[in-house]
Amino acid sequence: METDSARHGKRRGAIAVWASFILAVIGIVIIFALPGPPPRKYPDREPVRMWHMWTAEWKDVVEKICDRFNESQTKYELIPLSAPGAAADSKFLLSVAGGDPPDVMAQWNQVIPKWADSNLLLPLDSLMTPEEWTVFQQKAYPAVKKIGMYKGHLYGVTTGLNIWACYCRLDYLREAGLDAERFPDTLEGLVEWGQLLHKFDKAGHLTRMGFMPTWFAMYAPAFGGGFYDWTNGRILINTPENLNALSYLVEQRKKLGFENVVRFESGLTIGIGNADWPFIRGSYAIVVDGQWRVEQLAKYAPEVEYVTKPIPPPKGGVPHFGWINGNFMIIPKGAKQAAGAWEFIKFWSGLSEPERAAEFYTWGGWLPLNADIANAPIYREYVRRHPQFQTFLDVLPSENVQPTPPVPFQVYLWDRITQADDSAMRGTLAPQEALARLEREIAREIASRKEFGYAD
Amino acid sequence: MKVRSFKKNAIGYAFISPWLLGFLVFTAGPFLVSVYLSFTRYDIVSAPVWVGWANYHKLLTGDPLFWKSLGITFKYALVAVPVGIVAGVGLALLLNLEIRGISVYRTVFYVPSIVPVVATSVIFVWLLNPQIGLVNGLLRWFGIVGPAWLQDTKWAFWSLVFMSLWGVGGSMIIYLAGLKDIPAALYEAAIIDGAGAWQRTRHVTLPMITPVIFFNLIMGVIGAFQYFTQAYVMTLGGPEDSTHFYALYLFNRAWRYLDMGYASAMAWILFVIVMVFTILIFRTHKRWVHYGN
Repeated sequence: METDSARHGKRRGAIAVWASFILAVIGIVIIFALPGPPPRKYPDREPVRMWHMWTAEWKDVVEKICDRFNESQTKYELIPLSAPGAAADSKFLLSVAGGDPPDVMAQWNQVIPKWADSNLLLPLDSLMTPEEWTVFQQKAYPAVKKIGMYKGHLYGVTTGLNIWACYCRLDYLREAGLDAERFPDTLEGLVEWGQLLHKFDKAGHLTRMGFMPTWFAMYAPAFGGGFYDWTNGRILINTPENLNALSYLVEQRKKLGFENVVRFESGLTIGIGNADWPFIRGSYAIVVDGQWRVEQLAKYAPEVEYVTKPIPPPKGGVPHFGWINGNFMIIPKGAKQAAGAWEFIKFWSGLSEPERAAEFYTWGGWLPLNADIANAPIYREYVRRHPQFQTFLDVLPSENVQPTPPVPFQVYLWDRITQADDSAMRGTLAPQEALARLEREIAREIASRKEFGYAD
Repeated sequence: MKVRSFKKNAIGYAFISPWLLGFLVFTAGPFLVSVYLSFTRYDIVSAPVWVGWANYHKLLTGDPLFWKSLGITFKYALVAVPVGIVAGVGLALLLNLEIRGISVYRTVFYVPSIVPVVATSVIFVWLLNPQIGLVNGLLRWFGIVGPAWLQDTKWAFWSLVFMSLWGVGGSMIIYLAGLKDIPAALYEAAIIDGAGAWQRTRHVTLPMITPVIFFNLIMGVIGAFQYFTQAYVMTLGGPEDSTHFYALYLFNRAWRYLDMGYASAMAWILFVIVMVFTILIFRTHKRWVHYGN
């Protein structure tokens, strides 16, 4: 004899089963109803597949450039695909290994030497006409060649460079009785300004950073140092110049207190592309940052009064220095449409028509690869609207801006340089110890690569 | 008879064949291939080049970061696993009390363990922010100046240990199931014998849930040696390599430095370590795990 509660229980169970079934069916219908990739606009043309890593507003800019390319074409159709984040590299590698790579990829990670060394990339000079090669060699800024070339071949063409300079808040300068027109011409002078601009709370904690030089890779060239002998292709680590640079940076941090600076910096938000850049929020009076901030300041904080200035060199140092990286295009070995990919690279980078490409650079606030683009009327108009951008253009042609050395273990080298910098800046190791350890690590890596049969 | 049995088995295998196929292609196959790759120089795209024992030799004799990352991982397993067990058992004991709204409490403590690790990690980056984070905010209430947590070489590792307690609800629910499985007669007998609450916990509850503790210990040790996501999302191994866990270093070697052969050797060393520890724990289990018989 079934009781009432048992009957209710059975009914509830049946309802739960049916509800789950209906939900599952709805879920499946939704999944299949989701729109697939859009149909091709120009199905009669040769498809050129490009992967890039931009998202959000940047993705729109890239797609706009691709649309322009497609409008200019009768032969190729560029099909962009955003593959964001850290997974982009592994996806790319697996696609090459699987024999189905994209035709072209926009990159900004430090991959060229390693990937070129692994025979993964097509030398772009093999696609260039002799005229194109000559024009590139004659006109590209030194840093463009340093970033894109490996062992005499060109593997990547930059479509935007990143350079760093000083951003100075005029309201804070005025408050401290400083005049931006009389900006210090030495790093030591700027550090003195920074001391006038620091602010502390009652407990002595830093609440506003006036100015403090930091980042070994950025300042090493200013002291005549750096990590690579570009003439002889040799890695440089524990040199007197690098030691001077690191010691100077450590000294400046020591004055403020290691712990104080760590605490101050860890409370800041530092996302590229964010409107909450600490400079906008007033956490810095003078800070070193990249050219993309000019556009962001105009967009998110037009009320902030500021100027940009090249980072002044130390006494006896070299001017217009720094670390540089950029966005660049590569073509993988095995690309089915390498010729179409090369057409697109020329189109975007401005190697073919600088005047036309100048507009693309203004859309992203990017620094061009040669002076022809920088001097194009449309680019000059952009600089007129954003006068603070000029500082970066002034620094750009300098031989003293250096990318990470083009060695096959570039990422490892970069990681260990960063590590040495961190250890020295935290006071864990003295600068000479940090450099000695770095030198040992790199020597060990080189020796082991030789043992493993690598050429270098 | 045999034909019928074969037919029956064949039908069973046919049903699980998609899983079997997936296991062979995506787990067993790569597992075996990685043995070969660990004796090669391999960057994914070029053909592997045989280098004999060179990867293992370099790992054991010429790579300080290997030893450092191994040390950090050992330390984590040694600290976080026991802490997780103590917290899990303690929480399960509390949530085993028959008080009003206990199901709500159980849900509240369990829910964090089903939040994706990446989401949890991002939230903890904010919680542990020295300036604007909730943790230091709470400490400030008591007049304590909190450390810089993830940015401090001395504290970053301990921050991750502290964070591991967030997911303790997963093991807590298993302990709770174990507690529910203890026969009431044992407690009744203990009470008749005059045992107090502590003695009942010490001599009835804990011995009876040792099989569950044993299970969680094994899973905890394996999980600790594979610790990766939190370090990858929150610290990238820093500051100053203080959270450079073994699995993170292995990932970097594989995907950032394209040293797949070397990474395979690392993976095999990790496998051996995990196996040794698992066997050791199994060897000891007869001494401390009670199955109620």
